[in-house]
Amino acid sequence: MLYSTRFKLIASIAGVAFLVGAVSLFVGGRILYQSVLNEANNRVRLDLNSAYEIYDTHLKKLQSSLEITSLDSSFRSALMKGEVSSLVKHLEGLAKFAKLDFLGVVTRDGKTVCRIGRQSKPDKKNNVVNPLAKHVIERMVPVSGTIVLSGDFLSAENPELAERARIRVISPTKAGSESREERTAGMALASAIPLVEQGNVMGVIYGGILLNRNETIVSRVETIVFQKESYKGQNVGATALFLADRAISTSVVTPEGKRYIGTRVPESVRKHVLDNGKIWTDRAFVMGDRYIAAYKPIEDIFDGRVGMLYVGILEKKYTDIWKKTLTVFILITFAGMIFAVGLGYVIANKIMGPVDRLIRASQQVSQGNMTPDIGPIAQSEIGLLQKTFKDMVKSLEERDRRSRAESENRLLMSEKQASIGRLAAGVAHEINNPLTGVLTYTYMLLRRKDIDKEVREYLEVIAKSTERVRKIVKELLDFSRQTKLDREVTDINRLVRPAIAMMENQALVKGVSIVFNPGENLPDLTVDRSQLQGVLLNMIINALDATDPGGSVTVSTALSLSASDKDKRGIQIAVEDTGCGIPSEHLDKLFDPFFTTKEVGHGTGLGLSVSFGIVQRHGGTIWVKSDVGKGSTFFIWIPITNQHEQ
Amino acid sequence: MIILIADDEPIVLDSCRLVLEAEGFQVITLSSADEALRVIEEEGPDLLLVDIKMPVHDGMFLMEKVKNAYANIPVILMSGYATPEVVKESTERGAAVFLEKPFTPSELLETVRGVINKEE
Repeated sequence: MLYSTRFKLIASIAGVAFLVGAVSLFVGGRILYQSVLNEANNRVRLDLNSAYEIYDTHLKKLQSSLEITSLDSSFRSALMKGEVSSLVKHLEGLAKFAKLDFLGVVTRDGKTVCRIGRQSKPDKKNNVVNPLAKHVIERMVPVSGTIVLSGDFLSAENPELAERARIRVISPTKAGSESREERTAGMALASAIPLVEQGNVMGVIYGGILLNRNETIVSRVETIVFQKESYKGQNVGATALFLADRAISTSVVTPEGKRYIGTRVPESVRKHVLDNGKIWTDRAFVMGDRYIAAYKPIEDIFDGRVGMLYVGILEKKYTDIWKKTLTVFILITFAGMIFAVGLGYVIANKIMGPVDRLIRASQQVSQGNMTPDIGPIAQSEIGLLQKTFKDMVKSLEERDRRSRAESENRLLMSEKQASIGRLAAGVAHEINNPLTGVLTYTYMLLRRKDIDKEVREYLEVIAKSTERVRKIVKELLDFSRQTKLDREVTDINRLVRPAIAMMENQALVKGVSIVFNPGENLPDLTVDRSQLQGVLLNMIINALDATDPGGSVTVSTALSLSASDKDKRGIQIAVEDTGCGIPSEHLDKLFDPFFTTKEVGHGTGLGLSVSFGIVQRHGGTIWVKSDVGKGSTFFIWIPITNQHEQ
Repeated sequence: MIILIADDEPIVLDSCRLVLEAEGFQVITLSSADEALRVIEEEGPDLLLVDIKMPVHDGMFLMEKVKNAYANIPVILMSGYATPEVVKESTERGAAVFLEKPFTPSELLETVRGVINKEE
């Protein structure tokens, strides 16, 4: 119980600490997670825009280099003159400078004049429609943008390009395996400028960069936007270009060193971005890792959504920040709990220390040590408890001392009585025989007529003295006898009344009034009637003896509780006189056998000690209160129910 | 009229003899219960005066024997240890009367006469 209270205290403090820690961990963790995620989302959106900017810059650069070439006078004159080899030279210079994958000139009829690459002079049989040139010729304005080019066009331009554009599309099947199908179309950044000479369109210069497997843009994004930031050996940023829903160019490299070409985006992303034309941002599993991903649609020159630009940031970097912070949170919570346990221990000790001492003190008290150590008085309610405990022990000690003194007294009295009893029995047996002889011979002598007066007088002294001895021995015997109580149910008032009546004459002679105040509704007692009456008579005689003429003796009966045990009910008989009183030095010895204040020959002093014995055998007590000069009151208290038969 | 007295105290025996013989009674004194029992048979006393406390066999024992053999002989028991219990027991067990020691000659005579008168 002792330790359980201590444990409860510590546990509740630790519990509160844990609760606060756990709640802040949970709430803080959520908030942190959300803000980290928001932060990452914001960053990825910004990065997406930056990436798109780079994409756009490439396009513009492409257009300007074509425009510059279209205005070049030597190029124009070569075109006018139809000097194909000169044109090709120009084109190759430009392609090298602007890193173009395809570049060529088309007549206003759509026929290819020349192009870069191995097939610089087009084969007449294999004339594929140039969608870009066609678009420009129809409108007669420069066109720049993204365009999807067919495999045929690409292979006509340059078989190598067609080869680069060829992509195996990997799409997961329901069976769990992957299906692969080949796609030949390519997505390109392209530009076409009409060549106008004095209002006449002479042709179109076109050129572009095939984006399939092109690493220029993605690595540029990596360099500029992500600044090649890496986390745990992995690139933080990822970027990719999609033709429709399949990856055609990416910065993400597989563990085998290849690039994730041909993977497809989930259907939901495709719908959101390609069909609805919106930017998609969320956490996603992209190309082998978890990313915070953003997709933006790419529109071609015909205003169709043909592809997507993807930017992703490795989620791990952010979740690791979150996890790290969370770990710190957990550590703080645990540290808090440990601190709380420590604090709880200290507080519990501060509270329980005095309580423990009190418990030990009460154990000591129960073992009889009345001066237990309860330690320093605390400055709290515990202190009050300690003080109360101290007071309690003090009064307990006081009561203990009183009751011990009382019982010692009683024991002493009983011992005295017992030894007197043994003495009396012996005396009675041994003295009464010779006394018989003394009495017989004395009285026989006194019968004789022939003795002179002097001898007769002497004999009478002998007879009188022997009678006194006889009386003393008789009283001694009365005192000593351990008479069994002959109990019967008795109305105490009906026991007191005849005793008073018996003494009324004596009182009248002495000129002392005797009064009886009977208590009402007193329960019956089970007592030895004659013995108790003897006690009462003895007391009344004593009272009358002590009282001078004109005084009074009052006997009263009443219900009363025991003086030593408040639970015991009994009846008290009080004999009050207005006599001389008893000096305090006599009060202690009053119930001792042979103690008397009367003159020699007027009592042996056995009366009160005999009374004491009788009352004690009834389980009662007898005591006296006295004021010298005012009178004394003797009290007899007999319990209503008692098992004190002796 | 023969009175048999049994007591282990010579002074008591002498005292009783002195008082009773002065009044004309025939007195036989004995100092033990066993002696008394023997003599009772021979002498056939009219009254017994017996002390309760005697060595070997006490007065109660003697009275019981006498009561069994001669129911009509009255017995006076006497003792110096005259508590109410002893007095009560004595009369209950058949004593005509209990005589408390010490006694004066007149008390003894009164007691003896009282018993004799009652018997007659």
